[in-house]
Formats: sequence, C-alpha cells, structure tokens
Amino acid sequence: MTYREPRTSEYEVIEVSFPGSVEFVVLARFTAATIGARAGFDLDEIDDLRLAVDELSVSFGPLDGETSLRFEFFRDGDTVSVRCTREPAPGAPGESPPERDVINWQQARELSEQLLEELVTVHGREIANGRSVAWLKKQREAGKA
Amino acid sequence: MMTTVHAELSDRGPSPEKERAQRDELVTSHLGLAHQLARRFSNRGESHEDLVQVASLALVKAAERFDPDREIMFSTFAAASIIGELKRHFRDRGWAVRAPRRLQELLLEIGSSADRLGQELGRTPKVSELAKAVGASEDDVLEALEAGQSYRTSSLDARDREGQSMAESLGSEDGGFGHVENHSVLSFAMEQLSPRDHSIVHMRFVEGLTQSEIAARLGVSQMQISRLLAESLRRLRVHFDMQDESAHH
Repeated sequence: MTYREPRTSEYEVIEVSFPGSVEFVVLARFTAATIGARAGFDLDEIDDLRLAVDELSVSFGPLDGETSLRFEFFRDGDTVSVRCTREPAPGAPGESPPERDVINWQQARELSEQLLEELVTVHGREIANGRSVAWLKKQREAGKA
Repeated sequence: MMTTVHAELSDRGPSPEKERAQRDELVTSHLGLAHQLARRFSNRGESHEDLVQVASLALVKAAERFDPDREIMFSTFAAASIIGELKRHFRDRGWAVRAPRRLQELLLEIGSSADRLGQELGRTPKVSELAKAVGASEDDVLEALEAGQSYRTSSLDARDREGQSMAESLGSEDGGFGHVENHSVLSFAMEQLSPRDHSIVHMRFVEGLTQSEIAARLGVSQMQISRLLAESLRRLRVHFDMQDESAHH
C-alpha cells in the first residue's frame, strides 16, 4: 500500500495492489471506507462506496487469482474517485489478460453496471496504457456536510 | 384496533395501497408482542437489541403472509412466526470469520449508537460522530464496520414457505419490475435470493431507498441492512460465477 502526501489537505491519493483473489478485496473496501469517512460521507454513503468497490473488483471477470488488481483512491474535498486496473500477475509481462467472454459474464457485467448506477455518482470503463480500467466517482450528497 | 384490522383484511378487494397500510397497522399494533418475545430469549448471549430486530423483522414477514381467511388470530400467528425466527437466529448465528471480541462488542455498541444518533440528528450519522458517541477512534469504528460484514445473518439461506409467501405478496404489492425495464438483469438475478433479501435489494436498487430508509421501513438497524445487502450482492456474484464455471465444463 502506498500513501502519497496530499497536495493539499483536501486532496489525497492512496494506492493498493493485491492478487486478484476475493479474500484480498477487503483491503480495497477498508481503504474506500477510510477515505470516504475523510470525505465526510455518512454510513449509508460509506456502505454504498464499499459495495461499489466490490463491483469494481469483479469488473473484468470472476476473481481467479491469476491477475493482480491495482486500486487508486483519490479524495478531492467531498468527492472520492476510485480506479481499478487489471494487471498481469507479477512476472507475467504484457497487457491486461483478455476479459472472459461468456454469456453469463456479460450478464454479470451488466448487473454490476446497474448496481453501480445506483451506488455512485458516475462510473465507467476504459482502456489505459493497454490495461483494462474500471472507475467510479462518488460525491457526498448535498446537505450532508 | 386489532379486530378492526382483522375485519378489514377479511374484506377482500382493497387496493394495494390500502392493503399495505393495513399490514403496516398490523405491524405497528403488534410491536409490543415482538419486544415481549425478544425479552424471553434474552440472557442467552445475544444483545437484546439484536433480538428485537430479529423479532420485528419476523413480525413484518408474518403481517405480509397473514391470511385473514384462516380461523386464527393474527397475534397467535405472529407469535409462532416470531418465536420460530428467534430460534433460527440462535441456530444460525455465528461469525463467518471469527472477529476479535473487542470488535464484536464495539460493533454492538455502534449498532445501537447509530440508530440513536440517527434519530437525534434526523439523518444518518458520520463515522466521526459514531466514534465520538462510542468513545472509539474512527479507525476502530471502520474496522468494526468491516468486521460486521463477516457476521453471518440469520436465515440468510431461508427459502421456506413463509418467505416464499412474503415474496409473492411483495411482488403483487409493487406490481413487479415491469416499470424498470433497464433493470432486467438485476430483476432476473434477484430471483436467486431469498424473499427477504430480494425485497431489500429491490428497495435499494429499484426503489432507490437508502440503507437507513430501508432499515426504518422494516424496523431494523441500518447495520443489519448493510450486512444483508452486502451478502445478497455476493450471492448474486457467486451465482453468475457458478454459471460461468458451468459454461466452461
């Protein structure tokens, strides 16, 4: 886990990388909850963020331990952004492994997107530097300062 | 009042809204029964508040599936349901992953404080407010909340006849999911859940209620909804994964 000194007291970045196995996702959830608390999220919003992180972690397919996940958490005032990058396992150079392409997986991904729609302010997927990235942004609800 | 409600429920044909109001009235007028039965199961190592939550949820379920045409008083029917649910709670209770005792105790404190604070503040509390209320650090509160996700909720796997009835009544109550066509995969996936969990996921992701609002509607704590919701989503994922695996074999 890497902690970068914030540029200002309102801006923080934390990175967490771990093997793509379900038992490690707790690290990302806990980090999300911590940074969410620092953004002034209430319990509902923190729980939503944790559930959303779960969804990001399975954005590229079932967690099979054969790849790594790198999470980057950004806090900018009352907004938390999370990027999840799927990376080759250590020692296996190259681009992100191909995403699994089966009918059920398409449904699972659609389900994840529907859940994220409700849990966060905005979310998306992209390819960056040859790696698959899923990201989200959640802003503290107005009036909850 | 109870007799009136019973008589009204016997008079078939009210609108879904009226049926819902009548069920809510049944629940409200029998909350004392839930508290009384929860007290009977106290001193067995479970917090009284947790037991009240279990009993209250059982009461809601009993109201959902109560058939006024049967020659039985609602109080009798509800008492049997509540006692059954309390027994299942003790049978199924346990930590999926053993959390340190201090975290278990802190989680109990947080649960009761969160509800009390929520009422005082008129909104869902923040972690800093909870930490102050229970005299713990924010880190400890966050750690306890995460540990709470390991707490195995009672009757999670229940797919009994009682629950099925609840699902049916909930389905007729809100007219199904036809009005949210873009949730087709979600509604399909939700069929894999027990009726209770199905209704909670529906409230959160289809109706758009917050966890606190769902908790208030069901008369349980936000933390209990948090656990159930997280577990339900995991179950959905496992369901798809299993299908995925079977597609490979």
